[in-house]
Amino acid sequence: MDRQHMVGTIQSALSGVLEREVPEVSEETRFFDDLHLDSTSILELLMALEEEVGFTVDPEEVDMDDFVSVATFINYLERLETT
Amino acid sequence: MTDSLITLESIAAHAPDRTVTVQDLAEPLGLNPSKVRLFTTMQGLKELRQDPEVDLFQLVLPAARQIVDALPSKDRVKYLLYGHATQQVAPHGILPAQVLREELGLDKAIAFAVTQQNCATGMAAIDIAGELLRSDGDPDARALVVTGEKSFTPGVQLVPDTALMGEASAACLVAVDGPGDPVLSYVTRTLGAYANGVRLGKEKAAELGQIYPDLFADVMRKAVADAGLTLDDIELLIPHNVNMMSWRQTIKAMGFPRERTYLDNIPRFSHCFASDVLINYDTLKADGRLVPGGHYLMASVGVGTTFAAMVFTHRGT
Repeated sequence: MDRQHMVGTIQSALSGVLEREVPEVSEETRFFDDLHLDSTSILELLMALEEEVGFTVDPEEVDMDDFVSVATFINYLERLETT
Repeated sequence: MTDSLITLESIAAHAPDRTVTVQDLAEPLGLNPSKVRLFTTMQGLKELRQDPEVDLFQLVLPAARQIVDALPSKDRVKYLLYGHATQQVAPHGILPAQVLREELGLDKAIAFAVTQQNCATGMAAIDIAGELLRSDGDPDARALVVTGEKSFTPGVQLVPDTALMGEASAACLVAVDGPGDPVLSYVTRTLGAYANGVRLGKEKAAELGQIYPDLFADVMRKAVADAGLTLDDIELLIPHNVNMMSWRQTIKAMGFPRERTYLDNIPRFSHCFASDVLINYDTLKADGRLVPGGHYLMASVGVGTTFAAMVFTHRGT
């Protein structure tokens, strides 16, 4: 999945997690500062994507610094795909 | 530190036999599959104790009785402190602390409740008990701290995305300069800006989530420093059982090793209000994991928001 497609997938999953429409997101969108997500909402997003995209998260390895923005989130997902 | 030290003479815990899983709670609590996975995978929850057939006093009294029945004289107990996080744990007109006093036969005890620190109330009650005993002056006087409450409504059972509340109880016999485990320090910090607790709202909750690990780590570091120790001196961190992710973030912020953080009871009991650290002490002692002479750090957070940390040394037998 390319990065542009990934942004769309994250936006769609975000709407599900927040149970509301989410404004257009880009790689620059920051989860905390722009969308006011708390850390557990980000983890729930990760769980939703784990199922949809098909990867496995090791909870012991999760670092919240990976979830500052959509771009850092995609970097994290790309790292998961290559390991 | 003061000259006379609070000592933890004995600690007991009790939980109902009936176990429910996170999946069992999905429908009654309205948890969608992502939220179930959030709790089971990321937060590390598995099962918890919950028995609607067991009332508040049937839940709380067994832990307290383990301690009271072993006393040479019940009259030595001058104070009974019932620490609970939910403000209203019994119907109007019932004063649970007084009922516990009567049921336990603690005729000489002054009984009252402590609640304002929410899930950090257990340690606050120990600290208050120590102050009362210091004022009392009788070296044989004891105080009994009792915790435990029912997760009797969905609103109490679920702290959204954070915790599923289980049922268990604990009790701690407190003395001053007694033969038990001396408490070397107690540090607490309350952030009034977040007093709305579970009703903070998304933005404020997100803000608290950002500062929580660093602030909690600071409170624990201060407790260790006030005890005249360093983090390397701590055998085990005995935390509340709120969830795994919160503790992963907090010990990372503190620079404390995961292998010396006791998280085994999170999947067994989940978060049992103000009882967690006492339950964990009881489990560790039963498993022979409290080393004589070892220093231990108990830590908890109460919604609302109170951070608390206490360092004690295990004297052992």
